[in-house]
Amino acid sequence: MVSDRLKKIILDELKLDSFEFHDETTANQVPGWDSFNHINVIMAVEKNYNIRFKGIEVLKVKNMGELQKLVDSKLQQN
Amino acid sequence: MFNSIALSRFLQYIDFSKVQQLFIYDPSDQLYFSTSFFLFFFLALLFFYRMFSKSKNLKIYTIIFFSLFFYYKNSGYFFLLLFVSTFINFYFGSWIHKSKSSGIKKLLFVSVLVIDLGSLIYFKYTNFFIQIINGFTSGNIQLLNILLPVGISFYTFKAMSYVIEIFIETMEPTNSLRDFVLYMFFFPNILAGPIDRAVAFLPQIEGDMTPTKEDIGRAVFLIMSGLFKKAVIADYIGLNFVDRVFQVPLRFTGVENLLASYAYTIQIYCDFSGYTDMALGIASLLGFKLMDNFNIPFIATSIADYWRRWHISLSTWLLDYLFKPLQMSFRRMRIYGSALAIFITFLLVGFWHGANWTFVVFGLFHSTYLAVSLLTQKFRKAFWDKLHLSGTKFLKVFQILITFHLVLITAIIFRSDSLTTARNVFHQIFRYFHGAVFFQWITGYTQVFVFILIGYVLHFIPKSVDNKIKNMITASPIYVQALLLALMIIVVVQVESAQLQPVIYFNF
Repeated sequence: MVSDRLKKIILDELKLDSFEFHDETTANQVPGWDSFNHINVIMAVEKNYNIRFKGIEVLKVKNMGELQKLVDSKLQQN
Repeated sequence: MFNSIALSRFLQYIDFSKVQQLFIYDPSDQLYFSTSFFLFFFLALLFFYRMFSKSKNLKIYTIIFFSLFFYYKNSGYFFLLLFVSTFINFYFGSWIHKSKSSGIKKLLFVSVLVIDLGSLIYFKYTNFFIQIINGFTSGNIQLLNILLPVGISFYTFKAMSYVIEIFIETMEPTNSLRDFVLYMFFFPNILAGPIDRAVAFLPQIEGDMTPTKEDIGRAVFLIMSGLFKKAVIADYIGLNFVDRVFQVPLRFTGVENLLASYAYTIQIYCDFSGYTDMALGIASLLGFKLMDNFNIPFIATSIADYWRRWHISLSTWLLDYLFKPLQMSFRRMRIYGSALAIFITFLLVGFWHGANWTFVVFGLFHSTYLAVSLLTQKFRKAFWDKLHLSGTKFLKVFQILITFHLVLITAIIFRSDSLTTARNVFHQIFRYFHGAVFFQWITGYTQVFVFILIGYVLHFIPKSVDNKIKNMITASPIYVQALLLALMIIVVVQVESAQLQPVIYFNF
């Protein structure tokens, strides 16, 4: 399940009013989430949760569900 | 009795040394998809494939055996290098996966990357670097006698995708060396791509590797369209017009140079996408689905959009394995970090195409386009908003035209054998245009002109129309499909005025 907080961070960063996120949603299905904007989304998530990803962790992430899991695991470490 | 006499008479007519020659590597007689020997080769393969349809193991070994022969026919003893590369990447993949300590994992990963890139650099760039050193030091280091193994850039990138995905844990290594050998040797994509990912290819071997009715219809369509684009359009325009102009641009007026640039842009599209269509079609007849490489690239509205549509298997490879990691590590520099990542990536795109300054400059142009477009993104959006043009058809057409011509500039550099040639082409276009020559050109080169037009029209055909034709072919009886294919082969033979041209991308 993608949390409302994560959804909101992404919507704000991409300047979208609404978008239905599911666990299987991938970046290229979301309007505006292209290879240039990708890094801005990742940094917005890092800043909002006050966490820091490793490069390889982000490369592994394939969809929204996995991004949520990564965020959760980082929060547990803190 | 009669039969044996007839047979011995028949055999007398066959020159066995020539038959033998067909099976031995000969640099002047290679086995391209559009040669008649390939047709024979492929029919023989399909015969065995069909005969062994009950045993998947035999089917796999049939493709491996034919692939090896195919690669040997095109590159001689370099198939040994392919063997070495295959074994090294297979075992390193497995060791990376098995090792418990992250330090050893990293060490193994870096080692295999050094081996892969090292061999690529050695074969492709050694002499280029020697020339640069000689240039700087006025030295006289002897150039080495290195031949470029055909397809090395393509199969090395395929192998690297396997070890990279294992390292970042987005796939598990295969336990079957046989399957990995099939992935690496697979003849439809070994010489010029598409650079298929192991993660998408290996699971297909788990399937039953039998083409469905749809696969066959799709294959007939792709092989027909590929043959037409490559052997009719691209080769004809190339031989009869583009090659002549680019050989000595100063002998032609600016208008002819400009027309040759438009012609080359569609030639390279038809050449490469035609080749890819044939590769996809051939693979489809064996029950494999390869990655698509092109998606109407010249309707791109920006250079970034263009790279999402042109040579997709290379651009996504670089995006996933180079650009994204770079972008992540430069993220503190924000937008400038992304711009730097673009710059490095596209400099390498240039280098990947070969050891020539023209390719380096080609890469520099694309990286500059992309970096400038990224840095001015907000400003341009505000500008179009202010003019109330955002989202309009007018703006879209304007952007398509600008993008196309930015690509055209790089195509001139790409086609030129040296930077001086490229400079001469631009010089003629801007200083010696002589627009009136256009009408003479049309009468002198009517056929070339018609083929250029057909090339562009084919390129702009929407995917939906393609799919409709595909469905029609699929729905028609198999003998109609065979007839269509035979007709296309006849057309190709008729138009082929001179010797076959190798695919432009074989050299990379």
